[in-house]
Amino acid sequence: MTVLLVALGAAVGAPLRYLVDRAVQARHDAVFPWGTFTVNVVGSFLLGLLTGGALAGVVSGEVSALVGTGFCGALTTYSTFGYETVKLVEAGAFGQAFANVAVSVTTGVAAAAAGYALTV
Amino acid sequence: MAGTTVNGLRLTVLVGEGDRWRHRPMYTEIVHRAHAAGLAGASVLRGVEGFGTHSRIHTDRLLSLAEELPMMVVIVDAEERVRGFLPQLAELSLEGLVMLDPVEVVR
Amino acid sequence: MVRRQWDVLAVISAGGVLGALARYAVSRALPPSPTGFPWGIFLVNVTGCMLIGVLMALVAHVWPGRRLLRPFLGTGVLGGYTTFSAYTVDIVRLADAGAATVAAAYLVGTLLVALPAVYGGMVVTRWLVRR
Repeated sequence: MTVLLVALGAAVGAPLRYLVDRAVQARHDAVFPWGTFTVNVVGSFLLGLLTGGALAGVVSGEVSALVGTGFCGALTTYSTFGYETVKLVEAGAFGQAFANVAVSVTTGVAAAAAGYALTV
Repeated sequence: MAGTTVNGLRLTVLVGEGDRWRHRPMYTEIVHRAHAAGLAGASVLRGVEGFGTHSRIHTDRLLSLAEELPMMVVIVDAEERVRGFLPQLAELSLEGLVMLDPVEVVR
Repeated sequence: MVRRQWDVLAVISAGGVLGALARYAVSRALPPSPTGFPWGIFLVNVTGCMLIGVLMALVAHVWPGRRLLRPFLGTGVLGGYTTFSAYTVDIVRLADAGAATVAAAYLVGTLLVALPAVYGGMVVTRWLVRR
């Protein structure tokens, strides 16, 4: 049952990441990976909410599997974040690469903390 | 290096990486046809970034924009041979640019 | 254009399911504890990063022109397998549980291993392909 919920959440989360990424990137000049940044921050906030809610006992295991492990897990990505950072390094854009790591991690952790604090 | 030069024609075709002609890559089909037509040579070069008729940027730097990267096929031969090859290209109903420019080939 | 968009979305969705189930299997085998280092997701993100380096080198040098391969394996499977939200939330959760040192080690450790893993996967694959 849990496996099915994880699969269902991921079936929606992964293509949504692709659509959001392309929509965000279409509004920028395609240099800085804002699309991946956006899904990672939004997913971090949402999973923060759920995790805090689960600890407070108001979010069930089924909802955690569906929305947390499945949807948020597939909406966010570390591999694309890593790949796009390495491509910036390869292009010699060291400042952009460093900024991508620093901004993604600090904003992502802040978003997760905000979500967590709201529900825990 | 002040060798003699001969006049020729360069044919440049821009296609998308994923463009297909009967289940094989479009650039492969163009090279095969050029080879079968006995042209002097053909090269395919990979692009890493660009935009085309739909004005959407493709780049291998961003994963979700890494589809349909540009590929360039370059063919150089005598003008009449290149022009004789064009009807074969027309059959492929290409979406990208097909360009001809006169060149001097150093011998 | 519309048909193209739908088949890309379909393979990303299918790949995302496979990746997420693999991640779920790893996190079941290595379950997180309230104050311990999250080895499960660490392992997932590091291996996923190495594999995307391998994949992107293979797509560029060995399998060019396979239109659905990059969306399926890269955006779908590896995107669904690796996760940023569990990474950030685990940092917050550990810090909140008083394990600030573990949280900091996890934050920095994942970056220091996963990002070079992307590069390593890419460079080694390119080198093997060109031999």
